[in-house]
Amino acid sequence: MTNRTDKSIIQARNIEKIYPNGCHALKNVSLDINRGEVVVIIGPSGSGKSTFLRTLNQLETISDGTIHIDDVSLTDRKTNINKVREEVGMVFQSFNLFPHKTALGNVALSPIKVKKKPRAVAEQEGRELLKKVGLAERMNNYPSHLSGGQQQRVAIARALAMHPKIMLFDEPTSALDPEMVGEVLDVMKSLARDGMTMVVVTHEMGFAREVADRVVFMEEGELVFEESPERFFSSDNPRLQRFLGQVL
Amino acid sequence: MEKQSHLLLWKAVFVLIIIGLGFGIYAGSKSIDYTWRWERIPQYIINTEATTVRSPFDGSATIEKGKLIVTSDYGDDPLVIKKFDNLLVSNGDLVFEGDPLAEVENWNIGPLTWGLVMTLQLSVVSLVFAVVIGLFAGLARISSNPALRYLSITYIELIRGTPLLVQIFIFYFFIGTVLDLDRFTAGVAALSVFTGAYIAEIVRSGIQSISPGQMEAARSLGMNYVQAMVNVILPQAFKRTLPPMAGQFINLIKDSSLVSVISITDLTKAGREVVSSTFAPFEVWFAVALMYLVLTGALSWAIQRLEKRLSASD
Ligand SMILES: Nc1ncnc2c1ncn2[C@@H]1O[C@H](COP(=O)(O)OP(=O)(O)OP(=O)(O)O)[C@@H](O)[C@H]1O
Ligand SMILES: [Mg+2]
Repeated sequence: MTNRTDKSIIQARNIEKIYPNGCHALKNVSLDINRGEVVVIIGPSGSGKSTFLRTLNQLETISDGTIHIDDVSLTDRKTNINKVREEVGMVFQSFNLFPHKTALGNVALSPIKVKKKPRAVAEQEGRELLKKVGLAERMNNYPSHLSGGQQQRVAIARALAMHPKIMLFDEPTSALDPEMVGEVLDVMKSLARDGMTMVVVTHEMGFAREVADRVVFMEEGELVFEESPERFFSSDNPRLQRFLGQVL
Repeated sequence: MEKQSHLLLWKAVFVLIIIGLGFGIYAGSKSIDYTWRWERIPQYIINTEATTVRSPFDGSATIEKGKLIVTSDYGDDPLVIKKFDNLLVSNGDLVFEGDPLAEVENWNIGPLTWGLVMTLQLSVVSLVFAVVIGLFAGLARISSNPALRYLSITYIELIRGTPLLVQIFIFYFFIGTVLDLDRFTAGVAALSVFTGAYIAEIVRSGIQSISPGQMEAARSLGMNYVQAMVNVILPQAFKRTLPPMAGQFINLIKDSSLVSVISITDLTKAGREVVSSTFAPFEVWFAVALMYLVLTGALSWAIQRLEKRLSASD
């Protein structure tokens, strides 16, 4: 393996996470991710995948270790975490769209309030993003009038509206009916083609095989194994084999 | 069809019960030998008083197209009266200075209406302060800062654990004396501090009913805590808390009647004063109740409209 640190955009080193209730969710996890790389994280339920992803934008603080995003230390008290979060978009399993705003309102809200863009500019950009995710016709719908797949695509557009350098996806298709999974994965694939740095927690092995530059396997709070997709899926690591045997 | 006729039957039962209750009141008043004098009530709500317009100079009167014009004998500007209720001169009459020309009726607002206005003022001003107090106390209640949280809990428990009447006396006699507050200010202070404690609890439960994912999504987009609260959490909580808020606002209007004990002439105190001058207590209190109902009814109607408007995103 080559030394990637010089061009890596995310450097997570020796991360420990112990929840207030004593649950030891991350044990000495280290991962470097390069600019433009797509990393897929898989692992059994409760293995700490979401916890790890959420430490990368500090929705979860860490108990020990260091994280640098684009050379900014997240553990440094002087770091303005809101600035870092502008650079790191996140897409949730349960969409978390703002129900009181239309699709366009969801996408334009943060650029208006955080980046102080004029409404007309933010809405113009928002319309283009919604067009890009295939929702040109649905801009003025409220989330309650959109299907799950449409809601998740709005959520992706909403994160992209802040022009992030990194996108985090936490099981973006797990809450979707099977027939809607494809439309969301297609949007993610096209994002990957455009060179977005992506960290994706998913159970979609097809997506991992096709799009990932690297696949990471986590179990019981540990990062067990990371490899390119070809080597990953042909590996004979016993813990990985056991997991793949269960899900495939 | 079967269902339909059943519903109709029960609606008829309702109407019958209401009529029965009305008759009960009537019979009750008969049995204590009470003479109803409803005609005495309207003048306390609104009344008219005639004033006489007199000629300012010697001259002659002409009536033209419903207007009374008095031209002066000495070249003063003519007097034109466009509106009058009772004409006391006829066309071509000679008039002298001080002669009555016409009667004009002025509308006067009666004491009950003044009381209603005072109740409305008290309620509206208290409502504004109560919402501000309640919003901050509610946010402090769920703050991670223990000082803020305990302060808020103490405030809420103190206020909810004591009667409003006692609080009004404390505000008027103690705080009012120390800070030299007038009656109205003391009354507003007591009402807003009281209602604020209940609104704080409504705000707290409203915010806590919003899924934590909303806050996470807002923060992950780079909003700070205040931006996320103002743009994402509070608008949703607002919509959800409208029904309990409406109830609280209606309570505020009704609770405002208690400030009459510190001699603020609100609707209730006005009612007491009118009773002592009319000796028609039944009519007056029914009229007062009706006036409160008009206020609270208008408020709940307005809030229902607002709820409808906000339901666009459901
Ligand atoms: N807020 C929390 N407080 C306490 N413990 C938590 C919290 N969130 C997660 N955990 C615990 O941390 C461990 C890792 O949870 P995490 O959600 O990161 O797993 P995951 O790999 O994402 O699982 P899943 O596939 O089910 O989403 C689990 O044992 C979980 O019970
Ligand atoms: Mg998870």
